[in-house]
Amino acid sequence: MSSVPSSHSRSLTGGGIRPPSFALRDHVLGSAWTYRLLVLALVGGAWEFYASTAKLLLVPTFTGTIRGIGQLIVDPKVWTAFLISNQSLFVGFGIAVALGIPLGLAAARYRRIEGFVDPYLSILLVTPMAALIPILIMAFGVTSLAARVFLVVVFAIPVVIVNSRAGVRQVDPELIEMATSYGAREREIWRKILLPGALPAIMTGVRLGLGRAVTGMVIIELLMIAVGIGGLILNFQGKFQAGLLYGVIVLVVIEALLLVSLVRAIEHRVAPWTSQTVLRE
Amino acid sequence: MIEITGLAKTFPARGSNAPVDALKDVNLTVQDGEFLTILGPSGCGKTTLLRMIAGLLPWDDGEILVNGRPVTGPGPERALVFQSFALLPWATILDNVAFGLELRGVVKAKRYERAAELIDLVGLTGFESRLPGQLSGGMQQRVGLARALAVDPKILLMDEPFGALDEQTRRLLQEELLQIWEATRKTVIFITHSMEEAVLLGDRVALMSPRPGRIVDLVAVPLPRPRAATVDAIEGSAEFAKLTAGLWRQLREMQLFRRHSAQGRHRSSEPAA
Amino acid sequence: MSSVAVEVSRPHPPGFDGRRFASNAAPAAIALAIGVALWETAARIWDQPFFPPFSAVVERLAELTAEGKILTSLVGSLSNLVMGFAISAVVGVGLGMLMGAYRKVEMALDIYVYAMLTAPSLVFAPIFFAIFGLGRASILGVIIVYSMFIIIINTVSAIRGVSPALIEMGRSYCASERQLFFKIILPAALPLIFAGLRLGMGRAVKGTINGEMFISAVGLGAVVISAGRRFDAAAVLAVLLVIIIVALIAIKLVQIVDARLTGWLPSTARQGRAGRAAAPG
Repeated sequence: MSSVPSSHSRSLTGGGIRPPSFALRDHVLGSAWTYRLLVLALVGGAWEFYASTAKLLLVPTFTGTIRGIGQLIVDPKVWTAFLISNQSLFVGFGIAVALGIPLGLAAARYRRIEGFVDPYLSILLVTPMAALIPILIMAFGVTSLAARVFLVVVFAIPVVIVNSRAGVRQVDPELIEMATSYGAREREIWRKILLPGALPAIMTGVRLGLGRAVTGMVIIELLMIAVGIGGLILNFQGKFQAGLLYGVIVLVVIEALLLVSLVRAIEHRVAPWTSQTVLRE
Repeated sequence: MIEITGLAKTFPARGSNAPVDALKDVNLTVQDGEFLTILGPSGCGKTTLLRMIAGLLPWDDGEILVNGRPVTGPGPERALVFQSFALLPWATILDNVAFGLELRGVVKAKRYERAAELIDLVGLTGFESRLPGQLSGGMQQRVGLARALAVDPKILLMDEPFGALDEQTRRLLQEELLQIWEATRKTVIFITHSMEEAVLLGDRVALMSPRPGRIVDLVAVPLPRPRAATVDAIEGSAEFAKLTAGLWRQLREMQLFRRHSAQGRHRSSEPAA
Repeated sequence: MSSVAVEVSRPHPPGFDGRRFASNAAPAAIALAIGVALWETAARIWDQPFFPPFSAVVERLAELTAEGKILTSLVGSLSNLVMGFAISAVVGVGLGMLMGAYRKVEMALDIYVYAMLTAPSLVFAPIFFAIFGLGRASILGVIIVYSMFIIIINTVSAIRGVSPALIEMGRSYCASERQLFFKIILPAALPLIFAGLRLGMGRAVKGTINGEMFISAVGLGAVVISAGRRFDAAAVLAVLLVIIIVALIAIKLVQIVDARLTGWLPSTARQGRAGRAAAPG
């Protein structure tokens, strides 16, 4: 926040050489990880204290959770559960991207239908899609992959559409004018100007869509179809195996972070010419 | 009176950028009531110098004395006028002009009274309850000037205040500034990159070299005062043409010299014919 | 001398502008009417128990309202929503300001905020259930996890995004740190803080419904689950309609407060911020 460096009061009164500093101490105090680990230690400590004194059946200690994670990682049943869940994730996410991006581009291209499409997109973005789960189960059956895939698609597609559309819309109209003046036709304008220009926003949409797809994957399993990861959570919860329960939660969070980081890395490779994402998550 | 001796400032290396020597051995004295313009090529450190005089930026070597006392931070005797206007977009013109007084704890009635005076001085009566977003650039800068004058500073520090405006607005505001200054006679340090502006407004023109910046020349402007009423005549005069041409010659030499020395380094790496 | 009085982009005056509302609402109303008509015809043609026509849904909604079910659960959900959002807003903006103002706080917390934002928020429901059991507190916990973090990052962004020129101007007039914060940084950050609150409200609604669906005790979410168990598709969709309307009204309320407090923002900047609404996640 301060635009004046911290040496303000000292050197403002003129000259003077700053005394040599203890490099390691400065490095530690300046490093972000120091503070992050500090927070982790504080929270972990508080958690440990609370869990051991409150002795709630479903609240493991911090160390109990770590142990739980260790047990889970080596258990093949856990890997199977993750695999089952991720099936719906990848199929659903793939469909959401394959459909969502063209839909978003079309929405940007055909401005006339914008008035028609806008209210629906706004509604889609705020609707808790999880409420549709009972309907999906009636349609596809309780144990079906189709219901889970459908929900993942329905979770992820609105953000993909909206970001793709926004990406095309924010391309500098002067660039389009310039290309037209050099004789480019519609197809070339799309290939050379609009798509590359919209790419960062499209990738943002893909990244956000993945986050929402993971959410969809987990939600339907938690709320209705007790398979995969959701099944594990409900199972451990029912059996009061607290450490394993929390362990699964941590693993899910880690998976979500890993997947999103992967997409970010792809984003940087594919669209390195923008540093700022167009839309704030 | 402002006395600057041996001023130097280096910006430390940041990321992949090398450290930058912004100013080196700057020496300057500004008399009370003088209108000094500082002229120099882009990046020569003139804005850095102004910020230091304002007390917003520390320096590495040398000293700055205002009325015999060293500068340790911003103070009520110095007021800044910004190139980007820096108006509070959510506040009315009246509140904007009164801002400096508000920060000092002046009661509402008194500061609005004073603000109204200055709004009148810069010719914006009737716009008190507008928002900056509703005003043109020229009008916004007038608000900035009014705000600076409202705190009754001894020294006005102006950082290319007309740089963001179109030429016609700029000319109008130059005339208005001359009028206001001739009525109030503050000490003014005015940064510009325009030779015409420097000569038209200033009693002296301080010429700064490219980075690392130094004051390489102090050109007196013997044009008669007051000037506000006779701007056209002044701009048409031979004296004016001579002064601006001389300044441009010096500026061009400074910058061409840099280009030639860069080229020379380049050429010497080519194989001999 | 001449004062060149040119009126640049006019900021929208706060308050309700009936004419503008009507001209903006008309195309949306038409679009929705067309959508409803399509829904009705498609459902009648493709006769499926899980796809009731709009008329059947409305009928069911009337029945449920008459039974009093809708009203009680609506009140329950609304009270959850308001409480949960209020806590998220206060804590979220507060933390966001601390993080925005103090580098060290930001360094300490940023990865945790990011992780909570990326992870599927409902996985944390079992944790609240474990501590607070079946009841309102657990649902509030879920709502907070859903909405607080997006409020935090938008607030941090808002504080950091304040024009350095304005801050420097304040310093040049000898403003104290406190004056800088309350007279410059806070007002300047308000628009983006409100963007975060708007997104946070959207997420809070989802958190309310999803939380209620998981905990399954009170509120509209619970009604959805029980209707789903009875395979009553019309009831599920009826409740979903109510939820959508609640969500849209709640978000609109945030926008109205926003407009009152940030009426000075010129219309072009407002459009840019509307684009940011596209990714409530």
